[in-house]
Amino acid sequence: MSRGSRLFHLLVIVSTGCVVLLVLLAFHSETPETAPYGTYVDRSVEETGATNRVAGVYLNYRLYDSLLEVLVFFVAVLGVRHYLGTRERAEIPTLAESEVVRTSAALLFPLALLLGVYLATLGQISPGGGFGAGAVAASGVLLASIALGIDAIERRLRRTTIERIERGALLVFLLLTLLPLPLGRPAMSDLLPKGSPGAVLSGGAIPLYNTLIALKVLAGSWLILRSFVRHRGEI
Amino acid sequence: MIARYALLALLPIVAVAALSQRRRLAAIIGMGLFSFLLAVVYLLLHAPDVALTEATIGAALITAIYVLAIRRTGRLAVVADEAPGLLAREGDRIVGLEYEILDRFARHLGLDLSVQIVPHRDVAESVRCGEADIGGGGLVPSGGEGALATRQHLETALFTIGGRGTEAGAESPTVRYDGCFADLDPQALYTGETGVTLDLARFLAVRRSETPDESVLRHPHRLGYAFLVSGRRRALHSELDAYLEGLRDSGELDRLIRRFLA
Repeated sequence: MSRGSRLFHLLVIVSTGCVVLLVLLAFHSETPETAPYGTYVDRSVEETGATNRVAGVYLNYRLYDSLLEVLVFFVAVLGVRHYLGTRERAEIPTLAESEVVRTSAALLFPLALLLGVYLATLGQISPGGGFGAGAVAASGVLLASIALGIDAIERRLRRTTIERIERGALLVFLLLTLLPLPLGRPAMSDLLPKGSPGAVLSGGAIPLYNTLIALKVLAGSWLILRSFVRHRGEI
Repeated sequence: MIARYALLALLPIVAVAALSQRRRLAAIIGMGLFSFLLAVVYLLLHAPDVALTEATIGAALITAIYVLAIRRTGRLAVVADEAPGLLAREGDRIVGLEYEILDRFARHLGLDLSVQIVPHRDVAESVRCGEADIGGGGLVPSGGEGALATRQHLETALFTIGGRGTEAGAESPTVRYDGCFADLDPQALYTGETGVTLDLARFLAVRRSETPDESVLRHPHRLGYAFLVSGRRRALHSELDAYLEGLRDSGELDRLIRRFLA
């Protein structure tokens, strides 16, 4: 090992140690600093109608953060498809997965899909949300493609349909955030009734936004996964 | 509380372990494990939303994408018989024209070349049943079921040593050939009762070591050495074909032939 790389390793170890120490210290502080978040903690449930305060913050007070996150994801999907699209299409060989893998994948697929729907539609009253829901559902579709083969999935879910869903969800999201403007309200304000906190239909537009994000993330993740499968070879 | 600290202490250990793996798949699994542990830490910190996202995206989706991305970056499995000058052991290394071509081709694809030396008669079978991607080592293949022959990279000829039935009109259907030419019509290769038919590379090797006092017959067939590619790897076959054509067109193939078979 050269002198320089030994120094580098030492630096990495020391800085990692410092980070761990800092995290441990942060864990140890008994009185968390809540002052800047006090209003959100105290009033978000009554103002947004969502008992999941996190969802209340990122889909109501800070909706623009989520909007930009969706846009970032959209650009990521575009990038993957652009760079993989220039590669020659790989040949798809026959499935090599064992019976055990295929059977368990087929069993897990509906569960993953159901979990995705649950997370997307109930994100306002329980932990969840569109991003996680979309990722869970996309993992489920990947499991199904392991069980049935990518061609069987492509026959049911055509690429063009998936692309339309992806762009459509983004477009509807953007239009929803602009809808309050012609009605004389600030952009991104919530027009739907809040409902009673804790009920399934509560939190105003939060379930709607969660569903749209879930659809967007599901379609985008699947487009990325199928690009890798199609252009990099087997699944 | 103890579980929380233990998990936190485990995180850098898992991270370093994942980074120091030599096998890519092991490193990816290490990363997935890291994400999973991190998700548990988030959960213990009462942030189930973040934990859920970390688990689904970090541990499941990203791992799947990485696995898909590395699936093709594996090995190029080659089976071959030794053929002097083309592909032969020299000490603990393998050298030769075909080895050089395959090594360059593997690097061109970003794969590690792994060559297994097998008896000549097993080469074609091993390629046909898909055990190996490519067969080589002085093959004169014609393809056939389950395997595809590439373009010829070197001309060759067949020589019969010591056969007596090679005069015109002789009728001695006893065929002795060492299995190199299983794809050719055995009748065209009959060599008499005691003769042995060899291809150019092996013939030259024999000539160097033995006194050339036998009667030698050069067969009139125009033949060439080529590689055999598994019939399931059509894309690989066309890539190897294109690669060989590129080598020939750039004159690099001639340079290699001069270097190994001067």
